[in-house]
Amino acid sequence: MFSGRLNLIDRPLSKGKSEVSLSAFSFLFSEMVQYSQTQVSNIGELERRLEDAGYSIGLRLLEMLCFRERNSKREIKLLDALKFVHSTVWKYLFGRQARDLEQSNAADDEYMISDSDLFVNKFISVPKDMGQLNCAAFVAGIVRGVLDSAGFPARVTAHFVPVPGQPRPKTTILMKFDASVLQRDSALPSG
Amino acid sequence: METINSEIFTLMYGSIVRQLITDLEDITEVNKQLDTMGYNIGVRLIDEFLAKSRTAACTDFRDSTEKVAKVGFRMFLNTTANVTNWNPEGTECSLVLEDNPLTDFVELPEGCSKLKYCNVLCGVIRGALEMVNVQVECDFAKDTLRGDELNEIRLKLISEGTEAYPFKDDD
Amino acid sequence: MVCYNFYIFNRQGTCLCYHEWQRPKSVKQGAGTPSDDQKMMFGLFFSLKTFAAAMDPRTENKAQLGGPLRIGGACTFHSYATNNYKLHFLESPSGIKIILNTSPEIGDLRDHLSTIYGSIYVEYVLKNPVYMPGKPFRCQYFIGALTKYLQDCRLT
Repeated sequence: MFSGRLNLIDRPLSKGKSEVSLSAFSFLFSEMVQYSQTQVSNIGELERRLEDAGYSIGLRLLEMLCFRERNSKREIKLLDALKFVHSTVWKYLFGRQARDLEQSNAADDEYMISDSDLFVNKFISVPKDMGQLNCAAFVAGIVRGVLDSAGFPARVTAHFVPVPGQPRPKTTILMKFDASVLQRDSALPSG
Repeated sequence: METINSEIFTLMYGSIVRQLITDLEDITEVNKQLDTMGYNIGVRLIDEFLAKSRTAACTDFRDSTEKVAKVGFRMFLNTTANVTNWNPEGTECSLVLEDNPLTDFVELPEGCSKLKYCNVLCGVIRGALEMVNVQVECDFAKDTLRGDELNEIRLKLISEGTEAYPFKDDD
Repeated sequence: MVCYNFYIFNRQGTCLCYHEWQRPKSVKQGAGTPSDDQKMMFGLFFSLKTFAAAMDPRTENKAQLGGPLRIGGACTFHSYATNNYKLHFLESPSGIKIILNTSPEIGDLRDHLSTIYGSIYVEYVLKNPVYMPGKPFRCQYFIGALTKYLQDCRLT
């Protein structure tokens, strides 16, 4: 079917500067959570669905961000990949870098990115019967998608961490990398 | 007004449609579910629209559609629509969208030509208007994803209600 | 300057939210049960609205007493005061009605009710994925934000 418009592939990729209101996103996200609730029987499954939704986005996001960054070099070191998530990906999603990036004290293969006031959690107060639902599972899915398609497979989960002196807990994205990633990383020359 | 990058919005919507197709398989069901989801969103969205735009009342159906097209679309999707093609009685019109953030990067694959990808927008308009007692029927007449030049939503006024006392006068 | 209690109703008459900070005269002494109390409250302002529109000396095309009203049409009432308390009322075209009872010396709270509607109700309730429209809700962040907002305003 020939139309006057350019084929999708031939159209230039936009600069990524157009915006929609946060409200539109919140309502759509709300609806996604509500729909997922009808398809699952417990909180764990609900979080997994949110995570899967995020995962498919993360896969696509890596390609687009790397193209936009004009970054022709692929990240091969773990720390560089983490920095990519902490700054570029976060800036794309939330408009700023994440607050903290740290390695876990408990295990070598675990790293954490923390932030507060993520817009997925901003408007949610979870009723008692929903236990520990954390809508940042969506963000965890995006991170997992980005890391996976960059070649750093990991298990990524989102947790609430109460902060003393603040009314709302901060959200921590916990990344537990596969053993293969660490082996490969230690074999690389450092520097 | 707080905004976010429209691509995240587009990608998330795409993810939702993908999930629906996987769950439901039948395209007619997916279209229906998108409309229902849009309706649920519209029912909530109306309050934010009313509060932020400080709209007190619309004088008639024409006024309502203008508000939806100019104020509503701008407020939420950062795009505008034009209201055209009125029928002589003034009960049917078309909303023509030039830019649609939901369909950036999207192409419908072969097996999904019946998919009304943006059906959620029809549901939103229907739900929002119902909360101000205006019943409409809303459908896509032209869809860029299916080869047309632009996106056109056809709005048909069914009825305009009035406030009624909801409880029976029994006590 | 005291706020006594707070109601939100929807068009169908369901009380979506009720919160009280102080209520020296308990519900039992008044209407009887909380649901009767809410029903009476709803009936009250519905009648007041119709009555106010019918008795309006300014507009032409007055609404008939007891007849159906178009949304946003005619005049709307926004508060009444007694020697003991003042009731403030806001209704949106979507049928959401917000009622706040305060001590009588407080002035016009229309702008405040607008802000509560637009910035607190919309943000904390409507955008909450676990809220079902049309059902009563208990949302601690909403109550918290509302209380904080009223506290910030009482000082003005």
